[in-house]
Amino acid sequence: MSEVTQEQITELLCQRLAYFTETRMEVFPETNLITHLAIDSVKLLNLVMEIEDQFDISVPLNTLVDVLTVQDLADLIYKIKLSSQ
Amino acid sequence: MSSTIAKLGIPPVQKNDSQSLRIGIAPTPTHNLLAQRRANFTTLVESLEYAAQGETGYNFYDSRGNLKSVLPYRVLCTNSKIIAKRLSGLGLARNSRVALIADTTPAFIELFFACRFAGLIPFAMPVPVNLGSRAIYVQQLRGMLESSRANVAVASLDFIEFLNEAVNGLVNNELKWSGTPEQLDLLPEADVALLPNTPDETAYLQFTSGSTRLPRGVVITEKALMANLQGIVCNGLDVRFGDRCASWLPFYHDMGLVGLVLAPLAAQLSVDYLATRDFAVRPLQWLKLISRNRCTIAFSQPFGLKLCTLRARESDLVDLDLSSWRAAGVGAEMIRLDTLKSFAAKFSAAGFDERAFLPCYGLAESTLAVSFPDIGLGARSLRVDAKTLIEKKIAVRVQADGRKYNEFVNCGRPLPGHEVRVVDEADHEVPHMTVGSILVRGESVMSGYFNNADETARAIRLDGWLDTGDIGFLFEGDLYITGRRTDVIIVNGRNIRAQDVEELAEQQPEVRAREASAFGVSNEDGSTSVVLVVECRLASAVDRQSLINRLQQMVYMAFGVSCLVELVPPHTLPRTSSGKLSRFAARQGFLQRANLEQPVATTYTAG
Repeated sequence: MSEVTQEQITELLCQRLAYFTETRMEVFPETNLITHLAIDSVKLLNLVMEIEDQFDISVPLNTLVDVLTVQDLADLIYKIKLSSQ
Repeated sequence: MSSTIAKLGIPPVQKNDSQSLRIGIAPTPTHNLLAQRRANFTTLVESLEYAAQGETGYNFYDSRGNLKSVLPYRVLCTNSKIIAKRLSGLGLARNSRVALIADTTPAFIELFFACRFAGLIPFAMPVPVNLGSRAIYVQQLRGMLESSRANVAVASLDFIEFLNEAVNGLVNNELKWSGTPEQLDLLPEADVALLPNTPDETAYLQFTSGSTRLPRGVVITEKALMANLQGIVCNGLDVRFGDRCASWLPFYHDMGLVGLVLAPLAAQLSVDYLATRDFAVRPLQWLKLISRNRCTIAFSQPFGLKLCTLRARESDLVDLDLSSWRAAGVGAEMIRLDTLKSFAAKFSAAGFDERAFLPCYGLAESTLAVSFPDIGLGARSLRVDAKTLIEKKIAVRVQADGRKYNEFVNCGRPLPGHEVRVVDEADHEVPHMTVGSILVRGESVMSGYFNNADETARAIRLDGWLDTGDIGFLFEGDLYITGRRTDVIIVNGRNIRAQDVEELAEQQPEVRAREASAFGVSNEDGSTSVVLVVECRLASAVDRQSLINRLQQMVYMAFGVSCLVELVPPHTLPRTSSGKLSRFAARQGFLQRANLEQPVATTYTAG
């Protein structure tokens, strides 16, 4: 997991988000979490927990305020993962 | 930890806790050598000076349950006096306001008390929680800084960027200093004697909602605060030797601050804190803290209990022992019996005793608590006939089986020194069992909204009665809440003012003033959804969809909830004779168009 690439994170997120939001449509990097997926706070927190456990990182609250798309979230995770190594 | 060890009275031991072993810190003890005084103090700092003579205090845990930092009352007292002298060097007038972004840290509590020692008025500002919410969050901070006319603002390193952005855009900037706690530590200590506080001075301001433009700061005096703390400690919780608290409630929330920071201090109890964010991601950590440290008092909104029930797996229950938990306070939003029952069903296997449930009623405008039932009885409820309730506004107990009923939770009796009254639309007191607006009068009621005479006059009558905005009835002296008036929507424990949602909509170029109406509707599972109905002149489907997307995104960013947007032709929304939109009627119209039936419990409205 230490060698994880940004693309892998994005791909994984797209998969998990499709599962979490029980959506029938495909999730892309540019998918908007709010308007397209209507992710609610409970689902979001579940997802954050999965991300944290999977990548062994801690996602600070203040960083989510700049996240709108799947890509934004993937970039954030990658950044945190890099700085925690 | 097995319950046998706990019963032998051995103080909490940190288990699996490599970090705290490494730094060599231990949580403050449950048992204090100092004789317990149950909140019989005249000011907040007086209660801190007393608690500082003992060994108890506040403990902060990280998301994995490791002890991160410890703040004994003794250290808090010393540190906050030093910070008070640094603040005094800024040359502020007594009773100047100090804005604090309140994450769950020792620094926030130290600053809060430093303000009181220095004769300044602190108030807590929220931390940002929603996806993509930067712009709206900064706007919220700005609103609070202006409404409070703050002279000092402090934010930790994590949030200082937001604070700076807010400060830079202030129209009426009265700030003399802003920065981080670390920067504050670089200021010199002024050579001044800290003057004692008096009961009539303002202790703090409490902002009640994340309003975007016009936030209101509730003014609470030392006298009101101490009266409420005494009510909570002596009457609500019947605090005793051996009590210990655990909390994940945010420090910027009245239940978090007054209930689980100030009340424990006033009774010299130790508290174990989990940051709200960490609870939200891993709710079981809260229960693990209670279990491990043998906590006896912990409060939550119903939503927090629901999160625990949802997220706990059978395997989680094995290591939990919740038998020490004697006061499971529930408040801050409508309490549904189902939520409590599911929680008890899930966690009774872990030793949770449902008699610990303590459903209570209160609001920031009355400091925190208004009413408590007797402790140790659990949640009691009343089944009333659904038809009579909606048609006659009268609660009639269901006698026969087969009748449709609504079940309401008993929120107990008013604290000593407080009265509760239920009135009709003409402001006349109604008989018991009749539903109406709930008014409160007593020592804990706020002085008003800061610097806002109009809103104050709307909330407090000349004879001192506070209009709570809640709807309910009295039965045998006990208070039952049946709903809120339509101006507040409660989703997942968050209070959302309908007006705030409408204002957001009106900021869009396509939406004119008074052409948007927001309200809540109940879903089948008992949860609430926000609905926004907007009158719209756009013809193109693309433009319409773009507006809907934008509105959903704005509402989400501001309030963290999904929202159903309905565009309707102009003149669809019902208006009152004075031209004001009627949310109640707008909601009725929406339900008709959507062909939805609503349970009466959450939708009962008056006025």
